Amino acid sequence: MARLLFAITLTVCCLPLLPGVGGLLASAFAFLPTLGLTEANFSGWHQVMAWPALWQSIQLTLISGLGSSLLAVAFSFIILQAAWHTPIWQKISTRLPALLALPHVAFAIGLVLLLSPSGWLFRLLSPLLGEKPVTWALVQDPYVIGLTLALTLKETPFLLLMSLSVLRQIDVARLTMVSTSLGYNRTATWLKVILPLWLAKMRFPIFAVIAYSLSVVDVAMILGPNTPPTYAVLVWQWFNDPDLALLPRASAGALLLFALCGLALLLFRFLEWLGCQCLNRWQYTGRRHAWLPGKLLWWPVFITPLAIMPVLLVWSFALRWSFPDWLPSRYSLRFWEQELSYVWSLVGNSIVLAVISASVALLFAIGCLERSTNQRRSVPRAVIAIPLLVPQLSILFGIQVAVYSLPGQWHVPATIWSHIFFAFPYVYLALDGPWQQFDMRLMQTARSLGVSATLAWWRVKLPLLLPAIILAWAVGASVSLAQYLPTQLLGAGRINTLTTEAVSLSSGLDRRISGLYGLMQAMLPLIVFALATVLSRIAERRLLPTSTPTYSGAKHHDTVCQSTHHKRA
Amino acid sequence: MKHWIAAMTLSIASVVSLTASASTENDRWESIEQQANGQTVYFNAWGGNQEINAYLRWANRELQRDYGVTLKHVKVADIAETVNRLLAEKTAGKDSGGSVDMVWINGENFKSMKENDLLYGPFVSTLPNWQIVDKSLPVEEDFTEPTDGLEAPWGVGQLVFIHDKRTLANPPRSFAELLSLAQANPGRVSYPKPPQFHGTSFLKAALLELTDSPEALYLPVDEVDFNAVTAPLWRYLDQLHQVAWREGSQFPSSSAETLQLLDDGEFLVAIAFNPNAAKAAVASGKLAPSARAFAFDQGALSNIHFMAIPYNANAKAGAMVAINFLMSEKAQLRKADTQVWGDPPVVKLSDTAEVSRFNTQPEPHPSWQTALEAAWLKRYGQ
Repeated sequence: MARLLFAITLTVCCLPLLPGVGGLLASAFAFLPTLGLTEANFSGWHQVMAWPALWQSIQLTLISGLGSSLLAVAFSFIILQAAWHTPIWQKISTRLPALLALPHVAFAIGLVLLLSPSGWLFRLLSPLLGEKPVTWALVQDPYVIGLTLALTLKETPFLLLMSLSVLRQIDVARLTMVSTSLGYNRTATWLKVILPLWLAKMRFPIFAVIAYSLSVVDVAMILGPNTPPTYAVLVWQWFNDPDLALLPRASAGALLLFALCGLALLLFRFLEWLGCQCLNRWQYTGRRHAWLPGKLLWWPVFITPLAIMPVLLVWSFALRWSFPDWLPSRYSLRFWEQELSYVWSLVGNSIVLAVISASVALLFAIGCLERSTNQRRSVPRAVIAIPLLVPQLSILFGIQVAVYSLPGQWHVPATIWSHIFFAFPYVYLALDGPWQQFDMRLMQTARSLGVSATLAWWRVKLPLLLPAIILAWAVGASVSLAQYLPTQLLGAGRINTLTTEAVSLSSGLDRRISGLYGLMQAMLPLIVFALATVLSRIAERRLLPTSTPTYSGAKHHDTVCQSTHHKRA
Repeated sequence: MKHWIAAMTLSIASVVSLTASASTENDRWESIEQQANGQTVYFNAWGGNQEINAYLRWANRELQRDYGVTLKHVKVADIAETVNRLLAEKTAGKDSGGSVDMVWINGENFKSMKENDLLYGPFVSTLPNWQIVDKSLPVEEDFTEPTDGLEAPWGVGQLVFIHDKRTLANPPRSFAELLSLAQANPGRVSYPKPPQFHGTSFLKAALLELTDSPEALYLPVDEVDFNAVTAPLWRYLDQLHQVAWREGSQFPSSSAETLQLLDDGEFLVAIAFNPNAAKAAVASGKLAPSARAFAFDQGALSNIHFMAIPYNANAKAGAMVAINFLMSEKAQLRKADTQVWGDPPVVKLSDTAEVSRFNTQPEPHPSWQTALEAAWLKRYGQ
């Protein structure tokens, strides 16, 4: 069974890449017979290189992409070292899923409403700053500060969540005990002992963050500068150039984006090696005391999404709200009335896509994980890596061409496929830790009592891992809910979700409508996560043989990612 | 295979029928309406304006009731996305059953679709409502490119400026005056960044006023001395950017953003491509009641926006019925209402009280579009 699932996973996640990459390569080298381009050449590459603002654009991408990833890594480590298994940790870990669930687009729209020169922050400060908006900006600024900070704040919760299972594998408590006995304080222990171990195990999630930040289009369109834009946005604009003869330029640009991502990942790996293996004297020079501002850093990560929601809410009920008023001068239900009847079909589409893709991705992930436990063969990393690391923009065009070459209409299956494809690695990563930690002796005990392998799996393993499975499903659903490019490209624009609607409406820059859709877009994954958390707690409670209130209260953080009861059982 | 042959015969028959003699035209249109009954038309159109989106939802209700045609608005951020999708379909040999039945285009995108044979037609003269179209408007030319019956007119666009009477009592009457205004109020004037549609239109309008040889703009770019014709424009922009919003290091990304910035008090002058944009924005609460549209003395750069059918559309009959309906007096009158959208009509209406237009200035040859965008980008895009 696991083997079959594994084979299907490989087919679904790897086969479509062939036409995807093929189509991209062909058009990057100007081989597009329908356009009359029948001889391959380098014209696309020359056009890319001749683009006046190419290097500035790439610079902005590297600053915002690498900068935000490194900051997010630093933030999450600093928060972890200060908070891990302290009283504040419980608060942090229960709030993580909510932070993670907030879609990037809603987050970006909210930040604009909050931090642009006429945003709420500056309206509140207007008595100090004057009646006219300030002439500098925190968002859409030419130095990509706004975009970098937004990506940092958005990626930190993801890395924190991924750290949960990683840190359990490291056995922080024993390491801390040993180094405390050697005279190292908590922070020094974390820096010198835990950081290298943590970095090595966090490599995949960090790679995912880097690749995402370098190739993100929707958020960069909303928060980034436009003269020039970041490189991914530039490639997206090239794809949308009305002059079709320029398509090789877009495809060559997409390949270059792919190469940039690859280089950035190598660079990160090199830095990690440099710090932890090559120049690692700092680990044993003997300084035993260090301090990092962990709890201070937690607040911006936590507060910003909280501050965004009321701004979205107020704008969605505003009719007129001119600068520098703190609140709208006229309210109206008009936009809610106008949209509400229409929004249900969008919500329906979003939910159907999310449920199908999260469930299928979950099955795939369980299949792959079971295969690696049974046969001691781990899944080829490529299966997880490709969807995480390939810039979406780079492969979707080729896949689009491939889908169109099939007879008939394939918008719906193609879109569902792409959602599964992009949700799968996140679901897998969310389940990897719990699966590795599962104590196989429980299964052996069950078998020794005369239960078949299948029955043991259903009766012992599944119930114990159910809380983790439910939350992994929710992660998959929230990934699907946030997909813009695949839905738009493969769905031929016919499949409307809250996310495609929010992005296409953001081009009209009506803050009231943007606020409404941003809010709707944020609510759906929040509801999914809230339900998932409740369900996983119920599933967990059923496992506890006797109710021990103090005990379950202390372990709330465990429910976020996995269950470890079997160890105590 | 049989189905395929049947489908081909049908479509050939329908094409033949469209070009048949005038005496049977009414019958032909009736048969198109019969074919259209029950079809779903996927209309790819810009989806960034909620008033337009709401108008199309109304059109869908009307079409469903009267013709059994369902009009589905496929919202796109830029219609070029759709042109690209059609190319992808053509690349893959999908010459029928395509994903797009109807598009909202003009100018560069029309030229691109026409040159790549992505359009179905000519079909426009078979539409009954073609008879009521106001032929004094340039409805058979799109940025000097002949439409050849491949796209049907929908509305009139005019490049206008908007000011708020309370913050700016005397709006500028020319690009020269706009520069003086910017110099007197540093940081409070700018324009959308080309190649965004409104930004490029701003460049074309400015060039028409500033250049010594405006007639050259109606010729293809490669037939004139581009550098000589455009030199005054670059001198002007160099001066303007020094005193522009964020000193010309950033530009708004769209017309909608200039409206927002006007309302926020960051801008003194916003840009739109609809003579009724100010009224419509006041009606919807986006701008203060004191906002007014105005055009420069040279006239407003004007063009028609159109609807077309892709060559591989699945519901061609339904698309024709929908287009015909959108050109009807009823649909055009509602569209012209500033409480609804405020887009000026392309047909002769019995009641034109709501409609205001400025003196028109025709669009330059489409080749100027790309040439100006490229030159602008080279100078200011980094």
